[in-house]
Amino acid sequence: MFGTSKASRGLIVAAGAATLLLAACSSSSSSSTTSSAAASSAAATSASASSSASGSAACDVTGKKVAFVMGAESDPFFQAMKVGAAAEAQAKGMELIWQGDAKEYSPATQIPVVDQVLAQKPDALVLIPTDPKALQPSVAKAKAAGVIVANVDTKVEDLTDVTTFITGDNADGGAKAADSLAGAIGYKAGTKYKVVVGLSSETATTNVARLEGFKKAIAEKYPDIEIVDVAYSQSKPEVANTNINNWLTKYPDLNGIFAIDGTNAQGAAAALQAKGLAGKVALVGYDAYPDNVKLVKDGVITSLIAQVPADEAKQAVDAVADALCGNTAGIQKEVVIPNFTIDKNTSEADLKKYTYVA
Amino acid sequence: MATTETHSPNPAGTQVVVASSRFKTLISNQQFILLIVWILMVIGFSLINHIFFSVGVAENILLDWAPLVLIAVGELIVIISGGIDLSVGAIVGFTGVISAFAMRSLYEGSLAEQPYLVLAIGVLVCVIVGLLVGLINSLLINYAKLVPFIATLVTLGACSGMALVFTKGAPVMGGPREAIALSPAWIGPFSRPVLIVVVVVLILWAFVHKARFGRYTFAIGSNSFAARAAGINVKRHVTKVYMLSGLMAGLAGFFFYLRLGSGAPTSGLGNELDAIAAVVIGGAALTGGVGRVSGTVLGALILTTVTSGLIISGVDPQWKRVVVAALIAIAATLQALRKTEGGAS
Amino acid sequence: MSGEVLYEVRNLTKRYGAVVALDDASMKLHAGEIVGLVGDNGAGKSTLVKCLSGAHLPTSGEILLDGMERNWHSPHDAIQAGVETLYQDSGLAPHLSVSANVFLGRELVKPGILGKMGFLSQKQMDVQAHHDLEEVGIAVPASGRSVSQLSGGQRQAVAIGRAVAWASKVIILDEPTNHLGARQAGEVLNVMLEAKAKGLGVIFISHTLPHVLQVTDRVVVLRLGKVVKDAPTSEFDAESLLGTITGLKVD
Repeated sequence: MFGTSKASRGLIVAAGAATLLLAACSSSSSSSTTSSAAASSAAATSASASSSASGSAACDVTGKKVAFVMGAESDPFFQAMKVGAAAEAQAKGMELIWQGDAKEYSPATQIPVVDQVLAQKPDALVLIPTDPKALQPSVAKAKAAGVIVANVDTKVEDLTDVTTFITGDNADGGAKAADSLAGAIGYKAGTKYKVVVGLSSETATTNVARLEGFKKAIAEKYPDIEIVDVAYSQSKPEVANTNINNWLTKYPDLNGIFAIDGTNAQGAAAALQAKGLAGKVALVGYDAYPDNVKLVKDGVITSLIAQVPADEAKQAVDAVADALCGNTAGIQKEVVIPNFTIDKNTSEADLKKYTYVA
Repeated sequence: MATTETHSPNPAGTQVVVASSRFKTLISNQQFILLIVWILMVIGFSLINHIFFSVGVAENILLDWAPLVLIAVGELIVIISGGIDLSVGAIVGFTGVISAFAMRSLYEGSLAEQPYLVLAIGVLVCVIVGLLVGLINSLLINYAKLVPFIATLVTLGACSGMALVFTKGAPVMGGPREAIALSPAWIGPFSRPVLIVVVVVLILWAFVHKARFGRYTFAIGSNSFAARAAGINVKRHVTKVYMLSGLMAGLAGFFFYLRLGSGAPTSGLGNELDAIAAVVIGGAALTGGVGRVSGTVLGALILTTVTSGLIISGVDPQWKRVVVAALIAIAATLQALRKTEGGAS
Repeated sequence: MSGEVLYEVRNLTKRYGAVVALDDASMKLHAGEIVGLVGDNGAGKSTLVKCLSGAHLPTSGEILLDGMERNWHSPHDAIQAGVETLYQDSGLAPHLSVSANVFLGRELVKPGILGKMGFLSQKQMDVQAHHDLEEVGIAVPASGRSVSQLSGGQRQAVAIGRAVAWASKVIILDEPTNHLGARQAGEVLNVMLEAKAKGLGVIFISHTLPHVLQVTDRVVVLRLGKVVKDAPTSEFDAESLLGTITGLKVD
């Protein structure tokens, strides 16, 4: 259950993340009412904590309460998001309420948390719905209470009552993985290359979107790369490990592996290490969990496609602040944040920024 | 009434009794059939892709076989005793992450210079946690009077839930890097951990088929009332059986740790079904009193051969489920046939 | 015929919740004596057997073996003290071999460290089981054979042979001639006479009154949990025994 929910969460995130870069530009231009808003949101996507610079809103939002309700609070992904939210709220002088079930990614546990948070009369609610249908009434309830609602990472089915939806882009993540893999294997047109893809689930939207993006980029930019096999691990690292082990035997000339999530990266990294192929077969993974980042530094994982949860949160805070000031014109209904590629050349500062908080 | 001793649970297995026909002898020899099936599979997969017939693939198969056979033999013993243990898959993941936490804190702390000592402690943690969960299973069965299916379903939920909570769903790394270094083949396709598993299975074979432990297990599964009337402490023996099953699952959890260099809360999920499949394909009866370690060993080998074979053949590995289902159906049919042919009035 | 009082129950009562299955029952068994225990269904025979064999603890009353009071906490206790019980239809483990059944619960182990670990001396048990069964007058084809492959009569013979071979004092047989043909039943009755000749006390529970009249020295009749009659077998004929069991005959 956790795997799936995480996967779908990731999917949405990834979708958002990829688009993020694009979105960053577009949102900055569109949220244009004040020039500083544009600047701040651009900064948000591309880089550093220029968050302090975001006096974006035309009015003073000091003392306003913004509440975040996420899925499983303990997930490093959400911990990273919390860092971004807290920094931006502090910069704006807003009060941050951060709530979510300690471990369970489920509407059953989330709906009561939303009720409890609304009882605290926040001015804005940033909701990461664990289910698109089940959380719809909670959004309506918040709206009825005069609370500004934003969705991050995942969304409710009907966005009418939602001011903005900010997410990552999984398809872009897949494309970035293709770029990184092609770079790592030294792609030259005319030479044939073989790669495999390890997935977790045939149905999880994250997996599907990432694979689509990957395939599309390969077809368009790297036609001499052949995806020779794909297989599914049901979120079990040992199954991913078995798949990779057998592929490494079957294709002694294998050039690269795209491991579509953390589980597959774990299984693939172990297989490469055990067979002494670490660094010889390129491995592109997903999600910047601290342990994965360590494997990048060790040269086992070639690169990681990272989502940017902190930026998603930051943009959400900016958007609700704008909405609280009535600057709705500049708020995009949907913002997609692109993913970020981490490899051994990534600066320490960026590693710090993009690694999910454990 | 005409089967041979071969598949009867009689651990003596010395005297072969009259077989009324060659056919009956053959269908009653589950191990022989399994061996033939396995050889045919190897030949078939090798014809599809000659790479299948290689040390590399054998190594891959053994890496999958070793943890499966550990939990399957544990499961076999439970099934011979007339019970069922659904918690083994969850114990694999649970012990894996608990010992990964323990090893990480030791390796990052006071024992940074002694990776092998850290790994040894890791094994110990897996063993202890596995035994404890097995003990809880037996307490639920013996004293809370839950049927084994429910009792072990309870611990399945508890173990997999706790594994997720403790890890927040993410793998636990940071233990000794020597773990993965132990995985490559050492002698032929056998890695050191796989060889240890072979030894463990041989020891279990002896205790199941040559010692009092197995005799009591068969007796309880065959007729627990008779076993109790014969003075056997049935509750105590059932406790041992479930603790042994937990122990085997704990060892499998550690084996996965060695393979992956990390513990994952999702590891082993659903493996109880693979284990039960191996046991049933190996000729054991879920009603208790019947089963052979050698059958289970071959059952597990066939399952893992199918996995690698399908991957190497380029067939969607999801087909494995269909193949396994067919094998179970055949094994169960043979079991039923033997009953009609060989059952006394 | 009768020596010392070997096994005795005094004022035994067993309640299962509100149900009184055994009500203040008393009886004695002497060495070298066969006592028939009869009664209708629900008369309390099974309950009495379970108390005598250690399967159940009585609610109140005393059980004495060799004049010493005993509290059986499990069948194991009773077996250790020399009291063997053959339960109706469930005395054997069908998947185990004949010798494994004969030696169940008291397996012979290999000498030395292997034996300490519980490794079995199977050959020795096979030979010994064959010998023991033969000695009590039972011919079973092969001790290595699985019990499920035996006929009903053969199974019963093994079960009784097992009990007689191990009993050092008392043997309790619950419906041992059930489902058996005349010839096989005759063999079972002979085994009981052999046990008696060895000086064992035998308690024979049966619905088959002719068998009871044929081999027992004394008959104890239970009705609704109470002992209603305890008299030498010679005082009964088939009709009067049946009358006592059903309560239709008044003494």
